[in-house]
Amino acid sequence: MRVFDWVVLALTIGFIVAYGLWKSRKVATVSGYLLADRSLPWYTVALSIMATQASAITFISTTGQAYADGMRFIQFYFGLPLAMIIVGAFFVPRFRNANVYTAYEYLEKRFDAKTRALVSLIFLIQRGLAVGMVLYAPAVVLTVILGWNDSVTTILMGVIVTLYTVFGGIRAVAWTDFQQMIIMLVGLGAALFIAIYKLPEGVGLQEALELAGTAGKLNAVTTNFDWFDRYNLFSGVIGGMFLALAYFGCDQSQVQRYLTGKDIAQSRMSLLFNAVAKIPMQFFILLTGAMVWVFYIFTAPPVTFHSGKLPALTGTVIERQHQAAIEERRSAATELLAKRNEAARARYLKAHQQVDAVHKEATKGFNDTNYVFLNFVTQHLPVGFVGLVIAVIFGAAMSVSSGEINSLATVTMIDVYKRFLNPSGNEQSYLWFTRLATVFWGCYAVVSAQLARNLGSLVEAVNLLGSLFYGGLLGVFLLAFFFPRVKGTAAFLGVLAGEAVIFYVHYTGAVGFLWYNVIGCAVVVAAGLLLSIFDRSEAY
Amino acid sequence: MQTQENERAPFLGSWSRLYAVVIVYLVVVIALFAWFANSFKI
Repeated sequence: MRVFDWVVLALTIGFIVAYGLWKSRKVATVSGYLLADRSLPWYTVALSIMATQASAITFISTTGQAYADGMRFIQFYFGLPLAMIIVGAFFVPRFRNANVYTAYEYLEKRFDAKTRALVSLIFLIQRGLAVGMVLYAPAVVLTVILGWNDSVTTILMGVIVTLYTVFGGIRAVAWTDFQQMIIMLVGLGAALFIAIYKLPEGVGLQEALELAGTAGKLNAVTTNFDWFDRYNLFSGVIGGMFLALAYFGCDQSQVQRYLTGKDIAQSRMSLLFNAVAKIPMQFFILLTGAMVWVFYIFTAPPVTFHSGKLPALTGTVIERQHQAAIEERRSAATELLAKRNEAARARYLKAHQQVDAVHKEATKGFNDTNYVFLNFVTQHLPVGFVGLVIAVIFGAAMSVSSGEINSLATVTMIDVYKRFLNPSGNEQSYLWFTRLATVFWGCYAVVSAQLARNLGSLVEAVNLLGSLFYGGLLGVFLLAFFFPRVKGTAAFLGVLAGEAVIFYVHYTGAVGFLWYNVIGCAVVVAAGLLLSIFDRSEAY
Repeated sequence: MQTQENERAPFLGSWSRLYAVVIVYLVVVIALFAWFANSFKI
């Protein structure tokens, strides 16, 4: 990075944080700190929700995933609009009318304290681990760019994010998200434009898409059903819907966002905006990854994008094989664009497979996916844009980490401290405890980030972790909303049964992880209904 | 637990119509992506 990039990075991050803190300078109550006094307009809530999902992982790992595996990951989001409709229609009015701070608070009103405590605990464990992963993602950036130790980086990032969340609460989180989302879209557009602009003469967008499409990189819809295939149309629509339903309906980091809306209509509009905007946004992120792949057909990529592993491979046989395969692919691609016949196509596909095979051999034992986009940004973007894209990645990491830390602190305060430890405290003591809990979860995030180092593709790791727990959470909320005869004990045992089955299925590796949400949810609902037969006390 | 009266949708007159538009949008997007996946091949 050059000096001007550092200036752009510092100004962008500084402006975002300062703006968020300025907008939240008058926060003095628990309601203001946790729910922004339920006063935010729908467009702020909508962009805040989008920013919470668009983590640094989204930019680092999703683009790398498109580079390695094509665009089929987009199918993961096909169920999201359906989930947004269900959450808007059924979840939002119930949470709003119950006048709760957390989704789990609602469960005590509907079931009992033990069900609320169990689900709160599940959330705290799951989100606590996930927040470490999203904190680790930008550490990858600094490790590559500055050569800093990633442990030092996660600690530094964790301290900055925690301080800003402690002072600003949800209002600061939401307003910084709003700014971050706009900058993210600008940075993403710049990266996509430059990837296409830097292609050689005679290779425009049409030719780039043809080269990517012929190699199977534009596989945005795959209709072959396979239980073990993580991303196809069916797992995306059904499994993705259940995951999104659980995420938006039961995860406090999301519920808390739309509870900040002025009324039910504002909360619903923020969700429907996501239903419409999320898929195109992910499409362009994946397309950027696919275009970066085309860029590296004509500009020789390193044998590995992981700069720390590069010295060990330099001058080796595998590097020479890689260079030869890259040269053959570039030549085959040029020939294919010129001749457009079957022989040229066959040569191009063979060369593509050869590059993949050599790259796979060179990167055996470590994950290269998360470094692809960073290498492209730092090596090939013009001065100023590098700082902007790095700011986007930092902004994304900050928005997700701060939101998750804030939601973890909220559940700790509302569902644990206020409910079980100090029900008769005053406003100021609750506010201070929330800030203390924010500090605790910030530290926890830093520690758990150290575990994220060897998890492979971070975006998949986060979604896998969520899928281990979300099915159980969704099941208990469906029992609460749609089965009035089911009571607390049946719901409590249903959640335990659902989690036991999900972990067993994961242990056996029987199906792809997107199906965990469907299976877990179904088990919780079935077990809850079955157990309620034996419970003869008065129905809810 | 009873929910209060829902607030009116800001567009199209009702929430049901808004939800229907989102579903139609999803179908169109998937169809466009399927076209996209198969249109750029040599």
